[in-house]
Amino acid sequence: MDEVSPNNDAEPQARDLGRASDSAEPSSSSGRWHPRQFAFRGYASQPETGPMSPSLRVVVRRPMVVRLTKEIVETYRICNPHFSYSEELNPKRYLTSPSVGVLNDGYDNANSDLILTVNFVLVNPDTKRRYIVKDVLGQGTFGQVAKCWVPETCSFVAVKIIKNQPAYSQQALVEVSILTTLNKKYDPEDKHHIVRIYDYFVCHQHLCICFELLDTNLYELIKINHFRGLSLSIVQLFSKQILHGLALLKDAGIIHCDLKPENILLCTSMKPAEIKIIDFGSACVEERTVYSYIQSRYYRSPEVLLGYQYTTAIDMWSFGCIVAELFLGLPLFPGASEFDLLQRMIKILGGQPPDYVLKEAKNTSKFFKCIGNVHDMENFQASICQRSVYQALSEEEFEARELKKPSIGKEYFNYMNLEAIVTNYPYRKKLPKEDIIKESQVRLALIDFLRGLVEFDPAKRWSPFQASGHPFVTGEPFTCPYQPPLETPRMLVAQNIKVDHHPGGGHWFAAGLSPNVVGRNRVPLHSSPNFQAVPYAHASSYGSLGSHGSYNDGAGLGSSYGSYGDNANFFAYYSPVGPSAMNISSQGNGKMLGSSPDARWRNFQFSHANGLGMSPSAGNIASLPLGTSPSQFTPPNSYGQFSVGSPGQFGPQSPARGSLQGSPLGKPAAAGQFNRRKGWTYSGSSQVQESSSSMHWQGHHNEGANSGQAEGSSQLPNESPLHLPSNLNAVGRKQQQVVGGISSGFPAVQNVSGSFAQGSNRQWHQTLGAADDMHETGSSLPNPGDWDPNYSDELLLEEVEEESSDKSCLATEFGKVMHLSSAESLVGIRRSTNVPTSSTSSFIRQHGPAQSFTHVEPGKPPSHDQYFGQMRGLSNPSHFVPQPSHNSLSRLGQQPAQRLYYGRATSGRGNEWNYNKMQAPASSFNNGGPHPHGNNSFINGMSWGRRASDAFTSIPPTSRGRKDYGRIA
Amino acid sequence: MENSTQESHHLRSENSVTHESPYPLYAMAVSSSPSRHHNHRIALGSFLEEYTNRVDVVSFDPDSLSIKTHPGLSFDHPYPPTKLMFHPPSSNPSKSDLLASSGDYLRLWEVRENSIESVAVLNNSKTSEFCAPLTSFDWNEIEPKRIGTCSIDTTCTIWDIEKNAVETQLIAHDKEVYDIAWGEARVFASVSADGSVRIFDLRDKEHSTIIYESPQPDTPLLRLAWNKQDLRYMATILMDSNKVVILDIRSPALPVAELERHRASVNAIAWAPHTCRHICSAGDDSQALIWELPTVAGPNGIDPMSMYSAGSEINQLQWCAAQPDWIAISFSNKMQLLKV
Repeated sequence: MDEVSPNNDAEPQARDLGRASDSAEPSSSSGRWHPRQFAFRGYASQPETGPMSPSLRVVVRRPMVVRLTKEIVETYRICNPHFSYSEELNPKRYLTSPSVGVLNDGYDNANSDLILTVNFVLVNPDTKRRYIVKDVLGQGTFGQVAKCWVPETCSFVAVKIIKNQPAYSQQALVEVSILTTLNKKYDPEDKHHIVRIYDYFVCHQHLCICFELLDTNLYELIKINHFRGLSLSIVQLFSKQILHGLALLKDAGIIHCDLKPENILLCTSMKPAEIKIIDFGSACVEERTVYSYIQSRYYRSPEVLLGYQYTTAIDMWSFGCIVAELFLGLPLFPGASEFDLLQRMIKILGGQPPDYVLKEAKNTSKFFKCIGNVHDMENFQASICQRSVYQALSEEEFEARELKKPSIGKEYFNYMNLEAIVTNYPYRKKLPKEDIIKESQVRLALIDFLRGLVEFDPAKRWSPFQASGHPFVTGEPFTCPYQPPLETPRMLVAQNIKVDHHPGGGHWFAAGLSPNVVGRNRVPLHSSPNFQAVPYAHASSYGSLGSHGSYNDGAGLGSSYGSYGDNANFFAYYSPVGPSAMNISSQGNGKMLGSSPDARWRNFQFSHANGLGMSPSAGNIASLPLGTSPSQFTPPNSYGQFSVGSPGQFGPQSPARGSLQGSPLGKPAAAGQFNRRKGWTYSGSSQVQESSSSMHWQGHHNEGANSGQAEGSSQLPNESPLHLPSNLNAVGRKQQQVVGGISSGFPAVQNVSGSFAQGSNRQWHQTLGAADDMHETGSSLPNPGDWDPNYSDELLLEEVEEESSDKSCLATEFGKVMHLSSAESLVGIRRSTNVPTSSTSSFIRQHGPAQSFTHVEPGKPPSHDQYFGQMRGLSNPSHFVPQPSHNSLSRLGQQPAQRLYYGRATSGRGNEWNYNKMQAPASSFNNGGPHPHGNNSFINGMSWGRRASDAFTSIPPTSRGRKDYGRIA
Repeated sequence: MENSTQESHHLRSENSVTHESPYPLYAMAVSSSPSRHHNHRIALGSFLEEYTNRVDVVSFDPDSLSIKTHPGLSFDHPYPPTKLMFHPPSSNPSKSDLLASSGDYLRLWEVRENSIESVAVLNNSKTSEFCAPLTSFDWNEIEPKRIGTCSIDTTCTIWDIEKNAVETQLIAHDKEVYDIAWGEARVFASVSADGSVRIFDLRDKEHSTIIYESPQPDTPLLRLAWNKQDLRYMATILMDSNKVVILDIRSPALPVAELERHRASVNAIAWAPHTCRHICSAGDDSQALIWELPTVAGPNGIDPMSMYSAGSEINQLQWCAAQPDWIAISFSNKMQLLKV
């Protein structure tokens, strides 16, 4: 019938079709062919009462297709009772490499990684919850991250499977602890863009931590975008969210320590795109800044690079770098080495770290030379002296000192200052003119935003709260340089949260987390005396090196940390390095303690309180090498710190927290700090105290004292480090400064800043007398190489195509990619070196501490740099690009000038416009000069130029000077 | 069986031909090229719950609408064959048809005029003790020396049947692999109990592309059909589901269409061999439905264009390029050819 003529044509598509005339070619025939009404008839939907009841069929007999697929083994067994099949014989797909089991009864490979295969099952021994490994998302020195299916919840999670080594386990428990605190205490509703931790347990002797499963990280996102920047609307969206997270961290007094695009992940299928901050494996509480070698290089803050004490402000630096990178598609400071990094910062930002930082930082001599008379500073004449006494080393000088050439990375931007880089970044193609104008405005806002973040002076760097009010984030029109509000104490929030820590509530940590670890070396909780009189020598000092040694004697005493202290805990830190050093801090209510078990008391954290089962065996601890604790804790100077109990941070009635620092050495020490708890004080407080209720006594003494203070950072409450700057700044001032009435007095040798409860005490500190410092702003002749009017779109920037500006698209577009890997691996590396080898009390096994110490180096293993370089693939260590040194004396000389800006003013800026003036009016925001983008909004910078007169008089009116911002209160 | 070629057990009408087999049928294959007598061979595999199963090769004469059996064209098969397939059409048709079957192993048979000879048993098992049953296979049309098999041991094996050797074996999935389909000479896709559809390229064996995952992970995908007329499209079916999922490999993850008019689970799917937009599905509701892919799905889903109701649950469906006007289905012990 019909034309069913079989044929021999081999080509399936060139077939003799039923309706040949209808189908000249398959594609065109597609729409035209219709099944004819032969055997088939037109479809008509039928009532559901068909002859076949599906359920009936299921009961009677499964479809053959099922019986020969899903149930084929059963079917075969029916056919042949001798048939047997064992899944065990299936070839295993190994997810872990190497996959040869040599440790832990064959479960672990030579790297102590658990050997994972597809469908490997991890079980929480307590809850019996099963995690079925489906894939490995990433690997690092800490272990692996696996994507797991949880049958119980029908969901996927990311499980970090830590190496079977005590050092890693303990390190990971820090992350567990910090993240649990953040999740449960500070962000119970999951609104702050911090990754959620779901569970943790030990399986096959590996600590496993379960996190929510997220999506692509921002580095991958940029990569997918071919290293072209993301649209400003997305940059803004992400910035806002990251700031949410950072604000929370600041409230909690936690420093992430490794913020970078790789550690910010898109959430799965969220519209619009939502991101979360991950990897708290390097995080610490602000009071326990144990490690000096932290942060991935590109995102490393100047203070960390220089070996200066650090605070949550270092995350803000990293954040600034990230924002810039999101916009540019390339890292802002792709330093191939620390030297290169610093050079880039100095060049791009114009300026250098403030003298007070350089004076204290332990690595200063590696990068700077002293060209001034230190004595001048000591005599508080720095403010009169207009130039910094430090000058950055040139490449040659560096090489001479270090006996090796510094690695210098490739230049990605032809412009070498921030304003020009952002302003001249190619616009997306085919952007209508009005849109270009609009975007140019937003770019100005972005520049202003970045300036507040990548600010050399940690004290002036904006806090998350301040940054989140910036027009770039809020989307408000940017009309004038942003003047951040005074840091809000966030009293209410903070208090509520902190109240939770009240001892009455018990140890959250112990209560909430420890059950899972039951049975492993568990140590009875030390519901330790609130007030433990701990002999200094025995003090359980977590941060300082010395403490380790001393711990031997007083292991039991360590428990003081564990207790949440109902009222005051008395801590003594002892540093053997500086024999006379002691540090006593008493904290009211131990609020700190509540969240701090996590922190960086790597060595004992688990032995106390937490109930994690870390038994502080003195013996183990004893062997802690000095190397494990960062060098910043081994300064020659000793100090004492004494904080006076202030229930304050927990309740309104306890207004303050006091800390006292004294140098037992008898040197005059700028010691006491009376400070509010974290989050209540703006970090910028270092500059001026003006709030009525806050009082600062600042006493300044000579170096010895100062250095002692630097060391103390770990014990200081959050803001304390930030006081240091002020102390130094104050050099030019009177020895003591009293603002506001002080209720508690300390010896004059001390510096007591008491801040009191309610918002009264966000001090918008300004350096006094700073005005004097302004000089020589124009004396620096920028190197011509700095400014290149011919921007060339080389490298990856050549084409700026349309990227998806649709936020919602982002999430889906990159939907399936999971990238925990790169981020994690980086972390891992660092961790391996930093982990103080908790070895002390091993979590799972009691390894000899010595063993784990072996890989802990006090210094920085060279591998770090290499590693980071490789990871990003953007740094070419081998690429040697000679860079003229721009660290001219005169530029340094401007340094002091920055002091006179109020909080957010940056020396960098000051230099910048100065710079611009000299070179390129086009890239400056001056009102008089030609403005490339016609943003008139800057023109009359009326409101901001309140003190246009003084120090900047040397600057021609055409340049947008710092003066515009320079409001003096 | 009788001794001579005969017309047997079939009911005839203008638009359909029915062949009745002595045993329940599952596997079915239509030869790509007509035999000497211009008849099309159809291989039928039994589904018996015993070790010895049976494969019969019958011939269909579209002119007379008759189906003939031949006593010589039949052989025993260990276990029910999970799939049967004739050699793809070739420019140089050999004298005899080559037939492949899958079950405990991949087997090749030469279908001669009056007899069938076993040509090869392709066994990739490392141990003699166990064998991992093959759930399906596909013969590469462009490179007919290549057959890809899939197994419950999570692997796919690519055979070079000229050399009777394994070309490669890949751990394709995290669970049992249930079906495999070639797209190009070196590109194939597979479905699995792990609920995913993955595409493999033999030139890069380290990677596969997951283009679909069943909404509930680990819901097995049982069958896969790659649209030979438009390789962008594939269709798959889920276990115990009345849905046919149409995928566009250019937009992974999200199906382009879900056809949901069956009233019981779908058992088989086949793309039209001559148009790029039509697909036929058959299921436990004893219906065979022909669908045209719409450009846009209506609010109430997609209705099929036409339907056929068989006597009972339809287990198999073939829509062969050699006979695009005929759709072959099997249900219980019957094979039916339906004219479209």
